[in-house]
Amino acid sequence: MRRKTPYLLLAPGGAWLAAFYVVPALSMLSVSLQRGSLERGYRFAWRWQTYTEVLGTHHTQFTRSLVYGVFVTALCLAIGYPLAYAIAFRGGRWKNALLFAIILPFFVSFVIRTLSWRFILADQGFVLGPLKSLGLLPHGFHVLGTPAAVIGGLVYNFLPFMVLPLYVSLEKLDHSVLDAAHDLYSNRWSAFRHVTFPLSLPGILAGSLLTFIPAAGDYINASLLGGPNTTMIGNVIQREYLTNTNYPQASALSLILMVAILAMVGLYVRLLGPEELTG
Amino acid sequence: MRRRWVLPAYSAGVIAYLFLPIGVMVAFGFNDARGHFNVVWHGVTLRWYRHLFDIPDLAMAIRNSLVIAAISTVLATALGTAIALAISRHRFRGRGTANTFIFLPMATPEVVMGASLLSMFVTLNVARGLVTILLAHVMFNISYVVVTVKARTSNFNTEWEDAARDLGAGGWTTFRTVTLPLIFPGVLAAAVLAFALSVDDFVITSFNAGQTVTFPLWVFGASRFGVPPQVNVMGTLLLLVGGAGALTTVALQRRKG
Amino acid sequence: MNDLALTTSITRRELLRLSAVAGAAGLLASCGVSAPKKTRASVAPLPPKTGALSVANWPLYIDADVKTKGHPTVEQFQRETGTAVRYKEAIDDTETFFGTLREPLAAGKPTGWDIAVLSDWILARMIRLDYVEPLHLDAIPNFTANAAAAYKNPSYDPGSAHSIPWQAGITGIAYNPKLTGRAIDSVADLFDPAFRGKVGMFSEMLDSMCLTLLLLGVEPARATQADAKAARDKIAAQRKAGIVRNFYGQEYGDALANGDLALTIAWSGDIFQLQESNPELRFVVPKEGGILWTDTMIIPKGAANIAEAHAWMNFYYRPEIAARVTESVQYVSTVPASRAIILADAEARPAERAALQRLANSDLLYPDDASLARLHRYPGLSEDDEKAWNQMFQEATQG
Repeated sequence: MRRKTPYLLLAPGGAWLAAFYVVPALSMLSVSLQRGSLERGYRFAWRWQTYTEVLGTHHTQFTRSLVYGVFVTALCLAIGYPLAYAIAFRGGRWKNALLFAIILPFFVSFVIRTLSWRFILADQGFVLGPLKSLGLLPHGFHVLGTPAAVIGGLVYNFLPFMVLPLYVSLEKLDHSVLDAAHDLYSNRWSAFRHVTFPLSLPGILAGSLLTFIPAAGDYINASLLGGPNTTMIGNVIQREYLTNTNYPQASALSLILMVAILAMVGLYVRLLGPEELTG
Repeated sequence: MRRRWVLPAYSAGVIAYLFLPIGVMVAFGFNDARGHFNVVWHGVTLRWYRHLFDIPDLAMAIRNSLVIAAISTVLATALGTAIALAISRHRFRGRGTANTFIFLPMATPEVVMGASLLSMFVTLNVARGLVTILLAHVMFNISYVVVTVKARTSNFNTEWEDAARDLGAGGWTTFRTVTLPLIFPGVLAAAVLAFALSVDDFVITSFNAGQTVTFPLWVFGASRFGVPPQVNVMGTLLLLVGGAGALTTVALQRRKG
Repeated sequence: MNDLALTTSITRRELLRLSAVAGAAGLLASCGVSAPKKTRASVAPLPPKTGALSVANWPLYIDADVKTKGHPTVEQFQRETGTAVRYKEAIDDTETFFGTLREPLAAGKPTGWDIAVLSDWILARMIRLDYVEPLHLDAIPNFTANAAAAYKNPSYDPGSAHSIPWQAGITGIAYNPKLTGRAIDSVADLFDPAFRGKVGMFSEMLDSMCLTLLLLGVEPARATQADAKAARDKIAAQRKAGIVRNFYGQEYGDALANGDLALTIAWSGDIFQLQESNPELRFVVPKEGGILWTDTMIIPKGAANIAEAHAWMNFYYRPEIAARVTESVQYVSTVPASRAIILADAEARPAERAALQRLANSDLLYPDDASLARLHRYPGLSEDDEKAWNQMFQEATQG
């Protein structure tokens, strides 16, 4: 029974994913290798050039998306770690309430969240307006339409994804271990660096993955908060599929993105440490 | 000891930042908006609260979203937790592969995945509607659940479970009384994430919704003409309900310990 | 050129479709889509009535009654015809909705919808792909009798054989005189370096390209590849010079209201709304010309309730029904007679008199003849042209 347990545990979820992910993903692969057009019809043709073509045309947006993704993950980690730490160790009976609070903004549609940010960051809005009247900012200064606005929006939207796993991993830590660390090390920072931080690696890994992976493929923030020069690969794929009806190209781009993300994730996992630490 | 206020102050700041656009949303639920657009402030009014259900299809859309989110959360959390436990605690053939490929659904662009799913449903003559949305939501939520729960189950210390088994407890009892409480924060966090993702999902749902309308779909379509203030009010009420739920957990904690 | 598609028979297509889900190897086999056919309006009799109807529309695009929490015109239609109507606000984006229609239609299966309200620029493609049922125009006499001439017989759907407009709109230029400092009346103003960083263009290719073509003196329906390239270059230069702030989707409205933009391409119905809270905003049909577009009702191929669909279309071309819808939706009505009815309603309902009069007297919703004469329809682009234009526009506008 022991030996079969893992397979039994994997089976239901695995079957679900096999039916509703793997099959459509394989069909996506098939479409990426087809040639033709919407009106002239498609034919399967093992057309690998599509991959090189789309990579050639859109490598800028690819790189930009992966770079934005790394930035966003780093920022979310920097901002989110202290928050997760605070909730885990100082939260007391407010822990669960605070966790809910962090995720509550998500229950309002992304359209509303992003439109509200557009209102807040408007050129003459209640944030930038007064700053400009006071002369603290040049008159032509604007946030919307810049990469900063896109990254800001991404950080905002993915912060809960970073905080929740971090919290989950930090909260697990045994207080006696932490107390022992405080006794061992002369100051709290050393204790943190040598004991707490390494023990929270699984949370860091999980949070980074939950942030980087969807952020790299995001299109909404670039679309609503960005400008002509902040196009991300998600926007390109959206456009190729919906506007240009270039289904093979959109599928090829998607697969390239998935492979690139997997590669970066694999690298990151290796960087973080051996499997015993990260699970 | 000296700077105990730093962390709580910082946390309050971050949470305030998280709620900043929400505050804008709540505020504009009181705006005396003129015309269809609700972007310029005109003064306070309660009329949108009085006329909350005036828009026939908005309430139905919210109801659909909440039902789908509730069901898909339960299913995804159960399936995903099982996978996380399998990967974290057991050594088996295919573990590495499972560990690597579990990230794929998160990395797959929604527009292509949504269309491919639709294509499959069409081929199999599955009518699109609530059920197909559910199938899709559980699918993409499983990965998120697995990753979140694994943050808790990695380096799993099996001595508690071994102790329970030595004392004679069966597999299910051990799980229920020992394992589950230990991993519960991870499972809860994963469930909360899955719920939020489901309620907010747009692209995959667009493709596979058939004649069902969910909240994000409705709001995005309505934004072409101007999102009515009732949407802000609904959002505010959703938050209040969620907030009340959160405060209940606080009260429950107090009673327990 | 079409050899590969034309040799695909139905049997092979069905077989390939099924094997596509059978396994990995089978999955990689392709499905073909048959070549498009030309169709014209139907002269056959209507199929028998079935008593049901499924309508897909955009949110907030029909009348709504706050007291009954329903759609009065839909209820009236149901009562008069005895049809059970499923009216769903399921469309949020034309291209996405096309994607949801395409999958079943490409497989030769019904979509589940009897009427869908789609933007007119996609119709040329839908008709070429044979995704649309031809209409029995004799079953829609109210359209012939009551629709303005501008909405009949568009170039992308000769004889209105496949589509009946639901509501219309005007693409022109909106501006804030306080920020521009002067009146705006020309497309050239969108390219004026004096407004650097405060100009909005649309991410919608056709609106932006067509206005630019009009600036270059080209009639959009007769634009050549060279003309399109010239328009592309003009837009690319505008972007490089930093004149355009962004290429907006439907969110240009709040940018204009916030003061982020001084002038922008705009839709008249949006500006009509915004003027209620920002009365200083102005909308103008540029002197070179503007665009008249429609959201049109079509019957997807394989619809189950064709007779009821025709009855619906006919119903909504009654002037009093069209007036009711326009009063709620506040976009351009395709039925000129609705204006008089709205004015009469203004007298009959004193509480709403000011609002209704503003509606009926607005040239944003009921353009005068001089403006109408300057309005052009979208060109019905061929697949190659559409791809080429999209490509050019995307090169010019995205970095």
